[in-house]
Amino acid sequence: MLPIQRSKGDAMNEHQDVALSVKNLKTFFYTNKRCNKAVNGVSFDIKKGKTLCIVGESGCGKSVTASTIMQLLPTLSRIEEGEITYHSEHGDIRIDQLERNGEKMRSIRGSEIAMIFQDPMTALNPVYTIGFQISESLKYHTDLSRSQYRTRAIELLRDMGISLPESRVDDYPHSYSGGMRQRAMIAMAMSCSPKILIADEPTTALDVTIQAQIFELMDKLKKEHGTAIMLITHDMGVVAELADEVAVMYMGNIVEAGTVDEVLRNPTHPYTRALLASIPVLGKGKNQNVEAIPGSTPDPYDRPKGCQFADRCAYRIAACDVMPDETQIGSTHRVMCWRHEEVGANAAE
Amino acid sequence: MLAYVIRRILILIPMALVISFLVYLGLELTPGDAVSHMISPEMMASISAERLDALRESLGLEQPFFVRYWIWLQGMLQGNFGYSTAGGVSIHTILSDRLPATLELSAVALLFSTIFGCVLGVISALKRGSTTDNVLTVTGMLGVSVPEFFFGLVAILIFALKLQWLPVGGRLLPGYDSYWDHVPHVIMPALVLSIMMTAGVMRYARSSMLDALSKEYIKTARSKGLPEWRVNLLHGFRVALTPVIVLIGFRLPVLIGGSVIIEQVYQWPGVGSEFISAVRSQDYPLVMMIALLSVMAVLTASLLVDILTALIDPRVRLDK
Ligand SMILES: Nc1ncnc2c1ncn2[C@@H]1O[C@H](COP(=O)(O)OP(=O)(O)OP(=O)(O)O)[C@@H](O)[C@H]1O
Ligand code: SF4
Ligand SMILES: [Mg+2]
Repeated sequence: MLPIQRSKGDAMNEHQDVALSVKNLKTFFYTNKRCNKAVNGVSFDIKKGKTLCIVGESGCGKSVTASTIMQLLPTLSRIEEGEITYHSEHGDIRIDQLERNGEKMRSIRGSEIAMIFQDPMTALNPVYTIGFQISESLKYHTDLSRSQYRTRAIELLRDMGISLPESRVDDYPHSYSGGMRQRAMIAMAMSCSPKILIADEPTTALDVTIQAQIFELMDKLKKEHGTAIMLITHDMGVVAELADEVAVMYMGNIVEAGTVDEVLRNPTHPYTRALLASIPVLGKGKNQNVEAIPGSTPDPYDRPKGCQFADRCAYRIAACDVMPDETQIGSTHRVMCWRHEEVGANAAE
Repeated sequence: MLAYVIRRILILIPMALVISFLVYLGLELTPGDAVSHMISPEMMASISAERLDALRESLGLEQPFFVRYWIWLQGMLQGNFGYSTAGGVSIHTILSDRLPATLELSAVALLFSTIFGCVLGVISALKRGSTTDNVLTVTGMLGVSVPEFFFGLVAILIFALKLQWLPVGGRLLPGYDSYWDHVPHVIMPALVLSIMMTAGVMRYARSSMLDALSKEYIKTARSKGLPEWRVNLLHGFRVALTPVIVLIGFRLPVLIGGSVIIEQVYQWPGVGSEFISAVRSQDYPLVMMIALLSVMAVLTASLLVDILTALIDPRVRLDK
């Protein structure tokens, strides 16, 4: 099994620790008069000082979920149903009911919930210096004066491990390396000490050693500032390293979710098992069976009518032509599969 | 940055030399005595044969070709552009008469089209797919495709003949020469001249703006909680501006060379209408000089464009 050294989830006192909760969220896209149910009823909590990893293959709706929370959806899409509640220090805020680019939403973005993106190359504006782009956040969310922006930006860059921040602060993004740009992005995101940091595949565009450094930095921020992190990835190895909790997404649904122990040690959904079987495990040698998941994800406009995974599932039975219910199999562990008991039993072998 | 500008100017020099050389070659090949386009016609008429030979020598016309070119070039640099064969007037005088008129027209047209083109293009992009956008797009297409003289004539018909708000043409009436007396004359030709360019700038600004708005950094800017105007203008338009400036810059030479059609329609005493009459009367030296002026304008405009893009876009600044 995977090398996991983590304490069991402290399930008791979790309620007051929730920073943001999502309930039965549905986000649909309307293009060419067709409807793509990109996020089709997901529920999860992001907890203070914890990392929630969202995993799944390309196109399963991870980014759309993140954009929905930030209300950064493109115009052709909308929240169809569901609740997004941000538990702020001054009471709960229903993000789904806020106007998209309205004042209230803008005051949350960047200051309460911040986001970093997959490709730091394109996520930073090429015509402004890093310092300017950090100071923009400070200008709108803090009481700092103009003259203090620079000092604060330098401080942030130094905290994020950028050397010579005093001169680097005046550089343009193109003179930064990929890893440094992502550090600068994180500096920007952390500039107003947000309660929640959403990271959408923050290291996919970077090479492996840099990847490890960025994750280390994020883990440090989580521990030092108690930031709640929602980390989107399609890499189960990253999940094993960083996650406190995991949600596995497939075609707009969370098919399995729970603490990292529960999901990785005791996967009860065939898709989770397939994902786990598809990653090589360090230290297990060359002869391990690494299996690619057979088949491919269905066309979002032509979905199976029952379980979305049915076409690729070895456990499929006739009942699977009906969408499976979400079953709670532990206080934190839930799964969407008719045969989760058999799958779970199988995994325990 | 300074080094970059200096390097760009240094590159221009050999190009300018080659072009001036070609123009000189053209002048040498034109029919008639070479002296005739270098001294004034009155002098030519009253001169004796020996004096003419002496003059030839003093002008260096007996010298080898390259020496003659060199002498000619030095004269050019001192503003001695030779004489028009048709009117017998010095080309320097003609140009210093005509160029201000053209520049006045162009400057106003450029200002109009840049401002309106950018504003309309940005509105169009921000309201993509709306009625406003569709109306602007169709209008823009008309503006680009309907010939200028048509707008020119229609405008004269309405504003000069029917409403009598503005003069039919010309630049100034004798006796009126304060700056403000220019204004009524320049408005109509400048607006008509700027129609096509406004439409062009608008279409370009729209697509450039849409391109910028689709970029990931726009999402980043929104995710920081910035207000929409800041996202659209500081992050979107600022980036979209570079290609628009390039477009406008490359239109500059056309405006300096004068719009032949508009100057004709409005009897505007600019370089464009002078060019037409020079061609008609086969006044080669004048045609050549106006051509040279236009080419120099192209070179200068491209230099300006490069410097401006470097100022606007930090990536260009460092690359070169
Ligand atoms: N701007 C958009 N316009 C139309 N459809 C979109 C848009 N963005 C996403 N979608 C659709 O929503 C679905 C989910 O996409 P999403 O980007 O969330 O996937 P993802 O899980 O983030 O994948 P990846 O790992 O490739 O980033 C896909 O079917 C995609 O086609
Ligand atoms: S519901 Fe059926 S098809 Fe779907 S994952 Fe479970 S066993 Fe497979
Ligand atoms: Mg994505």
